[in-house]
Amino acid sequence: MPHVRDPAGNTTMTHEPLEPRLAMQYEPTTYRRRVAGHDVIVHCHHYNARVQRTTEGARGIDGRGILCAAAETVFSDQLTKVLRPEDDEPTRWALAERLYGHLGFGRVDLAEIADGKVSASSSHFVEGWLAGLGQSERNVCTFTEGFLQGVVHAVTGASVQVRETECMARGATCCRFEVVHGGDPRRPIAPLAKGDALPIPCEAGGPYLRSANVDEQAIIDAVVGMPMVGDEFGLIPAFSVYLANMPGDFYNQICIGFVEAMRALGRDKAAMRLLISDAEHCGMNTFRGIMHSPEWDGLIAPMVQGRADALHAIIAISNALGWGDWHVTAHTPKTLALESRYGYEAVGYREHRGQAHSPQCAMLTGVAVGVMALVHGEGTVEERFGTFASSEERCISCGDSSCNFNVERVE
Amino acid sequence: MRREKVPACVHPETYKYYLEREDVMATWHRLAERYGQPRRHAGFRTMEIGAPRFILRSTLLGNPITVLRRRDCTPADILELHALLGYP
Repeated sequence: MPHVRDPAGNTTMTHEPLEPRLAMQYEPTTYRRRVAGHDVIVHCHHYNARVQRTTEGARGIDGRGILCAAAETVFSDQLTKVLRPEDDEPTRWALAERLYGHLGFGRVDLAEIADGKVSASSSHFVEGWLAGLGQSERNVCTFTEGFLQGVVHAVTGASVQVRETECMARGATCCRFEVVHGGDPRRPIAPLAKGDALPIPCEAGGPYLRSANVDEQAIIDAVVGMPMVGDEFGLIPAFSVYLANMPGDFYNQICIGFVEAMRALGRDKAAMRLLISDAEHCGMNTFRGIMHSPEWDGLIAPMVQGRADALHAIIAISNALGWGDWHVTAHTPKTLALESRYGYEAVGYREHRGQAHSPQCAMLTGVAVGVMALVHGEGTVEERFGTFASSEERCISCGDSSCNFNVERVE
Repeated sequence: MRREKVPACVHPETYKYYLEREDVMATWHRLAERYGQPRRHAGFRTMEIGAPRFILRSTLLGNPITVLRRRDCTPADILELHALLGYP
């Protein structure tokens, strides 16, 4: 029987374990993972920190506002989906804490939230910022601010403003947040508004290239079988990176919001290029870490006889992480063609905005480049950057039946 | 024994420690006594010990051992680990 603590510090007990409410459900047809009513995409701290820096670093737009509002909306909705009418308030706060750690974002302590104080002793985003981008001059936990605003709304119905006052990314021993009730008129939390879910494709795609040496299903089964939940620090150290289960709706809200805000300044093409670049770095750095990890050595390295095998293994891993249900249709050392049947970016765009005028899959476009540079490039990561280029030729967001990517070496 | 730096995003000071074959069992025994029993992951054929300041992870063969430091890992923590590993 788990103990939970209410904001006044009183400990009570619930009558059932809370973890089953957060159990992951896996959909093998599309490789989607579902936690607490939301499709989650597993990305590493490297990608998350870079996308945050891109979103918040652009001049002339309120990137922090975009990120914070997305987290607020999505996690208010996600926590609401696991709450039950009979849950008392301590149980609801306990679920909020556990959701944060379970998804791999770190550890937050909500014991003093009624007094307007929250602390966090570990943080996925701080780890990402410090590992990939170095010590920060400013607080970096915008995501957690939004998360906290969202869960306060889900638990109490109140719209609050959360502000980080100390941050581990600037050398503090823990991150601290203050929760402000009232004050300036606060806009209501935007509900998660989406159109109907796009149907899962019924027809088989392809034809796809397979490697005779690589057992893709064994890789997928192993990744799906991993306990992809936060450890005692609320972090998921796997494949030599920190992973997190991020709701696809969050990524879609910040990326769509970022591009739209930049479009208002006439810079939407630059915005897409920046998001693709982040993913290219992710493709190279994340998979470079993965290829040196014990997990790779234990299961995958014995299957890999050549570079093409490594590419197929990487694509299998990315599918198991929920990225895109994508597969190789053609491959040479200088070129790669991929087809995605249910990528979260394209499907999400359709659900959030309807049909698009241009392809929307910045993450898959960039990762495709990064993976080719990693597998077929030479030299350091920095030297490989920009040695391949890719384009998304067709996109589900535009009404096509699949997303198709072409990668070519830059001569 | 020797160690090699590996690219990993969790910490810039990440190394694989290559044990002498005859030392593998005894080394893991010492590590388990100090930091707790290893957990095995059958799917990836790996095992690991999650210590407070780092994670020790290898294939089921036990060699090499990848040491993934957490951010608050101190030189004293590594010194103690090196003594257990037999790394000079």
